[in-house]
This record gives sequence, structure tokens and C-alpha cells, in this order.
Amino acid sequence: MADPKEVRRLQKLAYEMRKKLINLCGNYDGIVHIGGDLSMTDLLIGLYHHGMKVDPKDIKSPTRDRFLLSKGHGAVCMYIAMSLRGYFDYDEIVRTYGQLDSAYGMHPCKIQLPGVECSTGSLGQGLAVAAGLAFSAKQKKETHRVFCMMGDGETCEGEVWEAANTAGSYKLGNLIGIVDRNKQMMTSFDGEYMNLEPYADKWRAFNWNVVELDGHDMGQIVNALDKLPPVTNKKPTVLIASTVKGKGVSFMEKNIGWHAGALSNEDMQKAMADIEAGFAKERSTAK
Amino acid sequence: MKVTFNFGSFLSARSVMGDTMYELGQKHNNVWALTADTGGALKEFKNDFPDRYIDVGVAEQNLAGIAAGLALEGNIPFISGMIPFMTMRACEQNRTAICYQDLPVRFIGTGGGLTSGGGSTHNAMEDISIMKSMVNMTVLSIGDPNMVRDIMILSMTYPHPLYLRLAQGKKDRMLYEPGKYEYKIGMGLTARKGKDATIIAHGEMVFEALEAANTLAAEGIDVRVIDMYSIKPVDKDLACKAARETGNIVVLEDHLMEGGLASTLADVFVDAGVYPKKFKRLGIPQVYAGFGSGEEQRIKYGYDKTATAAAIKKMLK
Repeated sequence: MADPKEVRRLQKLAYEMRKKLINLCGNYDGIVHIGGDLSMTDLLIGLYHHGMKVDPKDIKSPTRDRFLLSKGHGAVCMYIAMSLRGYFDYDEIVRTYGQLDSAYGMHPCKIQLPGVECSTGSLGQGLAVAAGLAFSAKQKKETHRVFCMMGDGETCEGEVWEAANTAGSYKLGNLIGIVDRNKQMMTSFDGEYMNLEPYADKWRAFNWNVVELDGHDMGQIVNALDKLPPVTNKKPTVLIASTVKGKGVSFMEKNIGWHAGALSNEDMQKAMADIEAGFAKERSTAK
Repeated sequence: MKVTFNFGSFLSARSVMGDTMYELGQKHNNVWALTADTGGALKEFKNDFPDRYIDVGVAEQNLAGIAAGLALEGNIPFISGMIPFMTMRACEQNRTAICYQDLPVRFIGTGGGLTSGGGSTHNAMEDISIMKSMVNMTVLSIGDPNMVRDIMILSMTYPHPLYLRLAQGKKDRMLYEPGKYEYKIGMGLTARKGKDATIIAHGEMVFEALEAANTLAAEGIDVRVIDMYSIKPVDKDLACKAARETGNIVVLEDHLMEGGLASTLADVFVDAGVYPKKFKRLGIPQVYAGFGSGEEQRIKYGYDKTATAAAIKKMLK
């Protein structure tokens, strides 16, 4: 079982992160992919603040765990998770996000922002690159893991399954895929046009170790990360995290209109209130 | 510079590539061989370095991504395979996963132009145009199989993505004495001196150009031949010098006439304000070619040695 104190610490961070996301979104003169940011917030907190061996003061350490954000449009969510860990200055992110010459843009760029492992944004490409990192680590007998966060929508791309096939065939036990399974694409719900189910079976069929969890239950996230098999495992692992797009903001949750958007002042106040209420509820029901 | 020709001898560029991969694999423990089910020439490498050999099956997009990941970790991955799938199926991965991050991935493609014999699915007539359009990508086209080794060795210290285009790769004509010339990225080679006209060619077409020049020499026409193996970056000085000194320029390539070396050189001449008296492109027209050997097709579409010689005679009239 996950240590309740650690879970509470991470929940608090996720709460702060949601507020920081809403604050940035409300202060930015343009659209932010806020729906998918909120669906993976708890997962990113779990990874950057608990599951991954990383050190913001030594971003090139050969022993660090690697993280690739295959759903690159969630970059701002990663920036903020990393800023809470001490990589970046949150105020600078808010001040410069999306501006000319800023290191912080809609899709993460490794060259402009050291600390980012890989430039991403074109959907479906992350897992293959992550497999490349995992091949290298395995060949050099390094002990770190490679984590690759995917959106479920982008797993419509064929390259994801090419990479899944390769990683399963080559037994890349050091490769950990995480799917933010919010069951929404940009313009449709899962099953409306494309039906991704039986989703876990698809990964199993590609010889992956599959762990299914609630991507908003910090206890489950911590457990899943603590119980990852060793890097020498004969199968790569995928955490299929059931999530809600727009999680924590009533008018965004499961609302197709909120894949990405801009927040008015009024909406920002309402979103903040929802997040405060959600956190209060989480605290009051905690064992 | 006196160039030694050895027209009689053939060698397989693919086997030179395989041998060189093995040689590099022994010397450098960060060299990887990657293939999408086309690793026939890599037997020695895969036997001795199985943990640095990846065959992903027929999945070129994935292969490009894996190469990017390996390169991010300080490795030098060599992808070898058939050009159309390497450059077109994986086009966006090449651009976004590799070139955007400026990673030292090497692409070695066989079946340049209409040499594949497989028809239009397997022909490679757009590859140079596609690959040269990618920022950070370097594009080389090699005919002489021995050059493949030299360029692969040279690539070990080259920090950017690099595309090596080969002809069919099975039976390639040797043009230059091995080890005699130092090839450089951004340079061309004057394979034959001449003053009346210049044929600028790349890859296998350099041989056709030399044959055309020999035919014309018998008629008193003195033709220069440039092997422009480095297409991006291109040797602007060598091209402009030829335009100034010989006036007449023929660009001969086993590629679409639009988008390949001819287009690069047209840009070079216009930008430099060096205007050849006459400029003629010989290559593949806007057509999806059918079956037959590379030799047969270049006769059909008018970019073989005879057509080249005729084009020069017409220019000089």
C-alpha cells in the first residue's frame, strides 16, 4: 500500500498544479490544451515527484530516468510539473508562454528548453523514440527507465503499434508506457467514430505487461509506480490510466469543447472554485 | 587533378556498405545498424554485434523514431534500406524526430532513381527533393561503390543527419581508384576536364556523363564532367566556375528533373548572378515509370549517354 503521507503530499502538489494550470490558461492570450493537461496532471505529479529518479540540478545525469511526452500538446502541464520539482521558474513560464523567443511553447522543444528529453508534438511518434532510448540503455546495461506518456487518441497512429511491436519483441523491460486514457480525442468521444476497446488487450497482444489504474487516484498511481517490474523484465510495461478530460473543472469535464481553449476571467474564477472544492472533498474523504 | 577510371570493374555498393558497417562497428561501440527487414548485407555486423543490430520488420516510421532515440543517447545509428520507404514512408519522422533535433542519424538508401526494377512503388525519383528540403539534413549521392566506405568513415565525425543515396547497390561501377581522393561534404569532383560544355551529374549518372564526354571527344568536343556527389550542401564554386568557363551546362540525374540537383543548381546560378549560356536538365520527366532496368529506362526517358551527347551537340550549334 502506498504511504498515506506521501499520497497526501502528492495530492497537494496536484492541487497546486491544477491551480497553476488554470492561472496560466487564464492569463494567456491564446488557447491552451487544458482538457488533456488536467487529465494527466495527477500522473505527471506521480512521475516527476515520486516515481522517476530525476534531479533538476543534474539534468544530464546518465542515471536519470528519461521522460518523453508523446502527447506533446500537453507541454505546459509538463513544464509546470517540472517547475514544481525545481526545474523551471513558474512565473517565467506564465510570463513568456507562447511568446516570441520563449523556451516555453505549445509543444516542447529540447533544443530551446534543456531538461526536456525530446522534442515532441507530432502525435504518435514518442513511443518509437522512447524505444530507442530504451534500446541504448539496455545495450549499455544502464539501470534507468524510460517513461513515455501517450494520449489515448494518438494511439490511433500506426507508428505507436509498430513501436509497441518492436518493444515487445525486443523485451524492453526498461520501457514504461503510460496512456492517459481519457477516452476523448480532439473532436470526438471514444466509440463515437473510432473504438479503441478492447484497449488493454491490444497492448497485451503486443507482449506488454499491462497495469490498469485510475489515473486520478494518487494511491493507485503511487502503487503502480512502486511496483514496476525490474528493468530486466522480459516485457515492457504500460500503465493504462483511466482519466477524465478536464478533470477537476466542472464545465470542462468530458466536454468536447475543452480539448483546448482560452479562459475568460469569469471562467477562471469558476474553475479555481471547482478545484478548491475538489481538493477539499478529497481531503475530507481521505482515510 | 588526374582521375583514374576503371570502367571494367563492378562492385556491390551494398556489400561495401555491409563491410564498412562491420569495420565501424568494431572501431566504435556507439555505432548501430538499423534495418526494416533489409539487412541482407549486414550479416557480419549482426553476428558480432547483435546487441547493436535492430531489425524492426517492415516498419520504417518506427525505425526512424528508434534511430532518433538512440542518437539522443550519443549513439550513431545507420539506417539502411530501400529509398522510397526510407524517405517517403518515414518522411515526417525523419524531419521531426531526427532533423528537428539535429541528430546524427545516417540513412543509406539503395535503388536510386529508376534502378530498382520494381516499378513505381519502388522507384526513387523524389528522394533528393524530399530529403534536401529538411533543415539540418545533408544529402549525398554516390555512384562509385568505394566512395561509400570513405563517406561512411567521414560521417563518424559529422554531427548532423546525413542521407547517402546509392544506385541499385548490387552491381556498381568503380570510377575512382580507392583511397586516392579525399571526399568532403560540400565538395564536388571534376571527373573530366573540358572547356566546351560541362555535364554535372551525381551517382551512377557520372558514368553516363563520362561515356557521353568520350563520344563527343572523338568529334572534337571537349566536355567537362563534374561528379556533384554532395547535393546539399552543394559545391557552388565548382558549379559557377564551370558555368563561367564552359558556358553550357547539362545537369544529368536519375531523379525527377524538378526538385533534384538541377533545381539546386538553377537556384545557385540565379542567386550568384552567374548565368550559363545554356542550361539543360536531363532526368526523369513527370511520369510514373514502368518496369525494366535502369539502363533501359534512362534510354526510354532520354537521359542516357546518347541523349546526353545529343543534347550537348544541340547546345553547341
